[in-house]
Amino acid sequence: MRKLLAIALVAAMGFNAEAGKSETLALGAEAPAADLEMKGTDGKMYTLVSVQGEKGTLVIFSCNSCPWAVKWESRVASIGNAYRDRGFGVIVINPNDPARVAEDSFDEMVTRAKTLSYGFPYVVDPESQVARAFGASRTPEIFLFNDKGKLAYHGAIDDNASDANAVEAAYLKDALDALLAGEEISVSETKALGCSIKFNEDS
Amino acid sequence: MKRHIFVFVALLFISCDAPKTDRASNTDEYLIPATAEEILKNVKNADARVVLVNVWATWCQPCVEEFPDLMAVYQQYKEQGVKLVFISADFEGQADGAIAFLKAQGVDFPSYLKLRSDRAFINTLDPNWSGAIPATWLYDSEGNKRYFWLGKTSHEQFEKQIRDVLMEGDQQSGLHTPLKARGET
Repeated sequence: MRKLLAIALVAAMGFNAEAGKSETLALGAEAPAADLEMKGTDGKMYTLVSVQGEKGTLVIFSCNSCPWAVKWESRVASIGNAYRDRGFGVIVINPNDPARVAEDSFDEMVTRAKTLSYGFPYVVDPESQVARAFGASRTPEIFLFNDKGKLAYHGAIDDNASDANAVEAAYLKDALDALLAGEEISVSETKALGCSIKFNEDS
Repeated sequence: MKRHIFVFVALLFISCDAPKTDRASNTDEYLIPATAEEILKNVKNADARVVLVNVWATWCQPCVEEFPDLMAVYQQYKEQGVKLVFISADFEGQADGAIAFLKAQGVDFPSYLKLRSDRAFINTLDPNWSGAIPATWLYDSEGNKRYFWLGKTSHEQFEKQIRDVLMEGDQQSGLHTPLKARGET
């Protein structure tokens, strides 16, 4: 019995290590840190409030340096541009500390946003404050809010980072379409492998 | 006292008797494509006092930076029954790079290459895991998941938990001799 208690205690302590950053935002929650200003690659300042869309808001934590993010980035561009035109607010947030990852410098972000023709803000979260507030842990990681500002979908873009043509479950597009149609999202939480966020450890 | 010495010697013998698979030479046996179910089954049947399971990839910078610390802590404690299991999350077609990296790091035991969809892999390995890497789990001798680290972790952090679980095992088996008294620091 004592052993079981010890295991339970250590396990509880151990698994808190994952939440070392913070708890991940729960479905139904509103966007935290929504008034925090972040600089976009176009030089303008944005907040999550300022990018809210009539149909909902798509918040994507991504970056330049993670190979998974790179594999998905053209899909981020096409989905973001398409659904921005359908009434969704869209923002891509780079939460990596640029001091830790040179490839995630602001200048590199500017280049990437142009190359990918992002028709929405690509902003920097240099102190990782927004990522921490969301409890985000990896790039890419999706948080989709409905028209009431409540988290409606959290997770992956789809089920195949390597090959867009081999996608069997287009989780994010399905969620966006469900919101547009006023229907329930059938799969509201998914997972995919991704790079751990290189949090700014000074803040 | 005699009983303690006998148990200690028996444990040393068991822990030093590396299984045949620990000396993988051929590539097919060195980086084995496997599902999370298959890997977990092997972890639970590992016949070890502690098993560290690490998910990594060659292009994951924090994983690459963390790797030498994992290898060092494994080398330090392997004779006390600690095993290390690497699972590469490298993309399809990148197995050669993963094998070259493992060899360069001195990995002389079989490793795994993730098979099947991310979602099934993540949820089977640990439903509480977000999928971010590097990710490392510590299992005890009974196959219980005891500790989890997300992101780059240091030798010191790994060592602390390994020692705790090893010492707990010593106490339960009647081996009250502290690790330090056995010449270990």
